Amino acid sequence: MNTVTSWAVLGVVVQVLLVVAGAPVLVALMRQVRARLEGRVGAGLGQPWRDLRKLMRKEPIAPDGSTIIFTAAPAVALSSMVLIAAAAPFITTTSPLDGVADLYAVVSLLLVASIALALAGLDTGSAFGGMGSSRTVTVAALAEPTLLVAGFALSVRVGSSNLASLVEHGQRAPGTILSPATLLAAVALWIVVVAEAGRLPVDNPSTHLELTMIHEATILEYAGRDLALVELGSAMRLAVLLGLWGNLFLPWGVATTAGPGALALGVVVFVVKVAVLGAVLAASEVFMAKWRLFRVPELLAGSFLFGVLAVSSSFFLA
Amino acid sequence: MLSSVLMLWRRQLSALISLLTAQGVLLAGMAALLGTQDGGLELYLVALGVLLLKGGVLPAVLRRVLANSGAARETQPLINVPASLLAAALLTLLAYAVSGPLVELDPTPTTHAVPVGIAMVLLGFFMLVTRRRALSQVAGFLLLDNGIAATAFLVTSGVPVVVELAVSMDLLLVVLVLQVLTVRLRTAFGDTDIGELRELRD
Amino acid sequence: MSLIESGLLLVAGAAALACVGTPLSSRASQASRTMLSGALTCLVGLGGVLAGVGALAGDSWSVTVPRLLPLSQAVLAIDPLSGLFMTLVGAVAIATGIYSTGYPHSHDHDHDHNHNHDQTPDAAGGIGSRTVQAALPLFAAAMVAVPAAGNVTTFLVLWELMALASLVLVLAEHRARPEVGQAGVWYAAMTHAGLVAILLGLVVFANAAGTETFAGMRTASVGLSPATRSLVFLLVFAGFGSKAGLVPLHVWLPRAHPEAPSYVSALMSAAMVNLGLYGVLRVGFDLLGGGPRWWWILVLAVGALSALYGVLQAGAATDLKRLLAYSTTENLGLIFIGVGAAGMFAAAGDAPLASLLMIAAVLHTVNHAAFKTLLFLGAGAVLRSTGLRDLDKMGGLAHRMPTTAVLFGLGALGASGLPPGNGFVSEWLLLQGLIHSLSGAGAPDVAVAIAMPLAVGAVALTAGLGVAMFVKAFGVGFLARPRSAEAAVATEVPRSMRAGMALAAVSCGILALAPLALVRSLERVLVTMPSIGDERPVHGAVELQLSGITGSMSPVLIALGLTGGALLIAVLVRRWGGQPRRTALVWGCGGTRLSPRMQYTATAYAEPLTRVFDDVLRPEHDINITHHVESRYLVESVTYRQRVSDRIENRLYPPLLAAALWWAAMARRLQNGSVHRYLAYGLVGLLVVLIAVGVTS
Repeated sequence: MNTVTSWAVLGVVVQVLLVVAGAPVLVALMRQVRARLEGRVGAGLGQPWRDLRKLMRKEPIAPDGSTIIFTAAPAVALSSMVLIAAAAPFITTTSPLDGVADLYAVVSLLLVASIALALAGLDTGSAFGGMGSSRTVTVAALAEPTLLVAGFALSVRVGSSNLASLVEHGQRAPGTILSPATLLAAVALWIVVVAEAGRLPVDNPSTHLELTMIHEATILEYAGRDLALVELGSAMRLAVLLGLWGNLFLPWGVATTAGPGALALGVVVFVVKVAVLGAVLAASEVFMAKWRLFRVPELLAGSFLFGVLAVSSSFFLA
Repeated sequence: MLSSVLMLWRRQLSALISLLTAQGVLLAGMAALLGTQDGGLELYLVALGVLLLKGGVLPAVLRRVLANSGAARETQPLINVPASLLAAALLTLLAYAVSGPLVELDPTPTTHAVPVGIAMVLLGFFMLVTRRRALSQVAGFLLLDNGIAATAFLVTSGVPVVVELAVSMDLLLVVLVLQVLTVRLRTAFGDTDIGELRELRD
Repeated sequence: MSLIESGLLLVAGAAALACVGTPLSSRASQASRTMLSGALTCLVGLGGVLAGVGALAGDSWSVTVPRLLPLSQAVLAIDPLSGLFMTLVGAVAIATGIYSTGYPHSHDHDHDHNHNHDQTPDAAGGIGSRTVQAALPLFAAAMVAVPAAGNVTTFLVLWELMALASLVLVLAEHRARPEVGQAGVWYAAMTHAGLVAILLGLVVFANAAGTETFAGMRTASVGLSPATRSLVFLLVFAGFGSKAGLVPLHVWLPRAHPEAPSYVSALMSAAMVNLGLYGVLRVGFDLLGGGPRWWWILVLAVGALSALYGVLQAGAATDLKRLLAYSTTENLGLIFIGVGAAGMFAAAGDAPLASLLMIAAVLHTVNHAAFKTLLFLGAGAVLRSTGLRDLDKMGGLAHRMPTTAVLFGLGALGASGLPPGNGFVSEWLLLQGLIHSLSGAGAPDVAVAIAMPLAVGAVALTAGLGVAMFVKAFGVGFLARPRSAEAAVATEVPRSMRAGMALAAVSCGILALAPLALVRSLERVLVTMPSIGDERPVHGAVELQLSGITGSMSPVLIALGLTGGALLIAVLVRRWGGQPRRTALVWGCGGTRLSPRMQYTATAYAEPLTRVFDDVLRPEHDINITHHVESRYLVESVTYRQRVSDRIENRLYPPLLAAALWWAAMARRLQNGSVHRYLAYGLVGLLVVLIAVGVTS
């Protein structure tokens, strides 16, 4: 029992370190893919880490009139991402933090991170912060129904909304992955991943035009180590979202037992999955432009419809 | 009973008052008869009270009002006299129909006369509704009360003194109020036609 | 003497003292009178808590007092269901009582032009008047006693007493502001319409059952025809639903709550609306013994509609108290979604799921009472300090009123349903119950298969929009810089008000981290609802584990993880980062100095969501452009006004009111001024009665 638990703890530690270290690399990969497709050389896989190192040495600034919310928000947002990384079944399903691994709990933790930054955006006292904050909560509020209904569709089969159970069930019964319910849920959740991670067509991660900003406007006032935390947090958010999507719909390779071989395999498979998904996402972004803000609710409503269809088909076509 | 029908018939206001007086005397007599039947001082006292009030005081007050107001005749009532008499017949039939169960409870000669009392009530109410002059309405009201008293005497063979006293006080008060009202009406409108009060509606 | 008896004695004593003592204290100073009123309310609350805890621990108690009420006897019967609601009301009353001792005596303003300012305590009438101060403990006592009623007459008498006392309190400031009078009229009309519905329902029930006591009605209800049961349930649901603020009978909530003094709003929103829930549970589940499924589908639908409509209106509201009032509608909608789903599964015989959903609904009631009290008391503190209710004018209050800001923030966290707040736990349980509905043994039928995803979607959208609404309320109200002069001179409120808020915050915290302490008692409540069953659906110590259904979640772990992680990261980064933080001006695009007025306001914050949902909200815009005197091409100022009115009220109520007025005009024709006509009415009436008696005998 003790060895199993210690391997499980090791699995969690490896998972956290992998996500923390690998998230900026994932961002770099996506930028490289995009650059190559656009005919540019690209900055290389190590650039985001170099940027973070630079930012850590710079002076952080707090706007006049802001409160502790502004200074504490990056830490809170990053902390929730780390908690998700520790609890969710990325490499292994045997996490001692199983009490956090419920789908709804993870969704709410993602929301906590967005809300922390949204409050910080309001705390800056600038129009940019308010605008970014307002748009962030709009997108988050409209993505909530899809997340939960698609989660419902997935959990009907399994009888539980615990992420580890969902992954294990998918491994045991691969036929369910190809069922209409799961496919519809996959499409719905992919749209939500794009919205929540702030990628095109919902938000442009590299923009600095006010009218096109959502995430960038919220964090405009951050500088120095605060900005480093925020950047790391959003990179981890992307990694976590892609990892969740990958493990829910392509669950093979995730370690269900706590042992060195299974863990190693889990690491490799996870890295490959997230890298591939990231590359696909980046490639699709090349061919898209950002949509105007008031078309985004239509997109999210469409994804909600897919989610409801997923639930109905899981029942009617059972 | 007969006096009630006569009240509906006659137009002259003074005649109405005389008929009321007669009714009061008859009521007192009825109470006295019941008193001899059952024995007991109470009923004799009640009979005396009724005689004084309904036979004496009230008609006197009404005559005074009549003398002050001057008009001696009822103007055309809302429902003309033949129709009123027909209505009186119908109401009497209704009274008999309704009081059937009451009589069956205790079929003595006194209770057989209960329908008459109820008919008097209904006729008095009818008169109240269909007469124009304030004075005739007061007469109708008094007829109503006489009917109630008669029914009470017949059904329960006696009304406790206290109740009769209370009722009589009320009655006196009402009549006095109505007297004042009649005077006011006359000064305001020139005559005592109740229909004129419609002007007061907003 | 048992706990229940001592508690009830305390309540009765405090209420009697309130009736007698306050008129006698006209010589005493304002301060001591306020103290007395607040202290009596606290005592009433304490009594309620004692009695409720005693009942939740398993005792039950009843007493019959003949001849106390006309035509009937007074019966009190306490079981765990009533105990729960008595504890709830009592706890809210304690916090509110402590808060109210400080309320009329905080920093006075001389701003006579400010309409929202509560009037000075020395004026005749108003919050300082003896009527209002006597009414407060009485209101609390009536609310504590309503769940204890054991027969129809006692229940209705106490209900009416509660309604009248609350009306007096709502109208407390009517001399200062004209809107208060109108709000009072709406409240009085709707609460009495609700009373009529409840009266009709209970009277039909009692008549059909042949007896008036709840115990008798319970045993006799099995013999009633389905039509009678359905009629009773519909009438009772309409009446109690109106009290609970369910759409479309909710229109009194956003009118009465903003105009009442803040501690009265807290009592009404956190305690009184729960009695509507109590009525539905008592009559629907206990007395009628559960019912056919369509009842509960109706409850679910009404709950979902209320939740969505409430959250949308709250999202668009800029008046802080109106926002909180609509949030009450939203939360009660969520609770009724749980109740309706529980009833559906109880009717289908699925006891574990039904009990889980009922526990979720009742736990959410408790959580809602805790955070709503805290939020309304915080809003009252802001109102007292700044005279402002309008979020668009607030801001920067976290610097000037730090304790209030922290406490309000905790309440907003609980209300938004995010971990580690207390709303998260009950919403998680609710979702678990809804999610597991389709995966049970046996094939679920079409109604469930359609209703459940829609219910989950409604809960999810409500949760998401609720988060947005509270970010707006807290962020715009307390953070950044003040948007008006009044907000810039705010000061912290006195200690008693802070103490009341702190008490509510502590209970929010306990409910967030250790909800299982309460779940034991809630399971005893389930026993009183036999159609749901006496399961133990939730157990575990640190982690909430569901039995019969796989699912677990640990709120403590999440809270520890979040806070611990944040602290750890902050410490690590400080060590590695090096440079200290500097305060600088906000970025203004290189040239402009951003004034506080250029910050996002609450209207602006809610604008994207308002636009997405404009079919439901129908905001009215008013734009006034003042041009420069010299040229029409230059603009001197632009005024933008947005108003979101209650669309249900605008569409549904004017036709009803017009019909009522038409009916009244028709009836006026009866009154043509002719004395003969009136006398004829009397004669005809008498004839009709005689004929009827003759025919029927």
